[in-house]
Amino acid sequence: MGGVAIAGLGMTELGKVYGRSARRLAADAVRRAAADAGLALDELDGLLVSHGMGGSPGIELADTLGLRDLRLLTAMNAFGATAGAMVAHAAMTVASGGASAVACVFADAPLRPKVSAGAAYTGSSRDYLGYGGMMAAQGFRSVNALYALAAQRHMARYGTTSEQLGAIAVSTRRWATMNPLAQLRDPITLADHQASRWVVEPLHLLDCCLVSNGAVAVIVTGADRAADLAQPPVHVLGWGQGHPGDRRERGSAFGLTTGATLSGPAALKMAGITLADVQLCQIYDCYTITTLLTLEDYGFCAKGEGGAFAASGALGPGGALPTNTGGGQLSGYYMWGMTPLSEAVIQARGQAGERQAARNEVILVSGNGGILDHHSTLILSPTGR
Amino acid sequence: MTTIRRDGFTDAFFDHARRGDLAVKRCAECAHWHAPEATGCHRCGSETLTWTPVAGDAVLITWAKVHPRGEGEVQHIAYVELAEGPWLHAALDGVDAPVEGLPLRAAFVRPEEGEPVLVFRPA
Repeated sequence: MGGVAIAGLGMTELGKVYGRSARRLAADAVRRAAADAGLALDELDGLLVSHGMGGSPGIELADTLGLRDLRLLTAMNAFGATAGAMVAHAAMTVASGGASAVACVFADAPLRPKVSAGAAYTGSSRDYLGYGGMMAAQGFRSVNALYALAAQRHMARYGTTSEQLGAIAVSTRRWATMNPLAQLRDPITLADHQASRWVVEPLHLLDCCLVSNGAVAVIVTGADRAADLAQPPVHVLGWGQGHPGDRRERGSAFGLTTGATLSGPAALKMAGITLADVQLCQIYDCYTITTLLTLEDYGFCAKGEGGAFAASGALGPGGALPTNTGGGQLSGYYMWGMTPLSEAVIQARGQAGERQAARNEVILVSGNGGILDHHSTLILSPTGR
Repeated sequence: MTTIRRDGFTDAFFDHARRGDLAVKRCAECAHWHAPEATGCHRCGSETLTWTPVAGDAVLITWAKVHPRGEGEVQHIAYVELAEGPWLHAALDGVDAPVEGLPLRAAFVRPEEGEPVLVFRPA
């Protein structure tokens, strides 16, 4: 199979963007991605669509965009692992000749004016009905509760501390201060993290990601073709997925390991590299604990040592493993798996300005979905095979 | 306390609860135990799960505190592992020093209005 590359990146305004539906945002992102690549819209012959919580562009997006004679059109969903899964599906289709230029788009618009970000991702029902209602009344009203339980289990098992999680929040924000696209750009200290209110203890507010409206799209095409287009190609060297099927019953690994243990080695093997070759990480960081667990599961540090690894400063500017260099989902923007993917593309192209990492030859991108249930990995590089 | 009302699908749980019994689901075909919210058996594929009373013995797996925005009380939540194997989304009552493996026992709080609420207390 021939090489495959990401040739275009399109991003709408992100954050408190009101007055545009998720479908409209998705269409805008695809148009921008095509223009970024230097392609006319009618040169796209594939479209993969995914959505978040707030309105759902499906395959009707092709009609919205006026795309004709597509050879690939599908809505995909692996929750937060979808972006990686879309790029992999597009890459395989392009490599096998099934399509030549595939747009992959994510859009979401859960935020509404004058409604809190928390409320946007929480059920609005006040009726506590049945067993599920009893769970809600007990406190199980959002995914925050479940990620807090995961974090606490890691803390109890390995001695991970809130301050170590805070080190991830602080280093991620340091990167965000240099990203004009980031929603939160004021520097924070560990003391700020510790003083931020509890959401679900042991998670502080600054352990939790943003909620954003907006859309992001990428264009996947053959590496040879990408070389002739407008932007520096970002080669897709490897991909993997991991869905452990963890059951919450005796023997569960909940809060301890994730599907990154499966998808990471698969993606590295496909790329023909080892973990030591990875220079830059863009990790799905819905919570600080997600970053920590994912880095452990890829093997950047031993299991249980993620807290110390983060506290060492390795992840921030000047660190040994620059991670979430755009501010991630914690401080940048919450476009599910498109957050790490978009920053990886920007870094691979060398277009990250003040925050550009010096070493960008091998970039690892992760996706995480469910409550640490679904995982995807991409290996990207400015250099082809 | 919030009022819990029946939903027509999990009424058997509350029938048992009113008698002081914890009922969870058990596969009618392979006898695997499941949490009350399960809708099918992941072990054998059966969709017939039967509400079955258990002793209510459990151990603490992990815990957290849900803090209110503004007024309200902190809620102590947990995953607990029943002796039969399944994990339950649980409320903790009276657990001052949580540790993994802490023995717990199911109990019910009976509000004046609405259905009983399941809690786990130190055994």
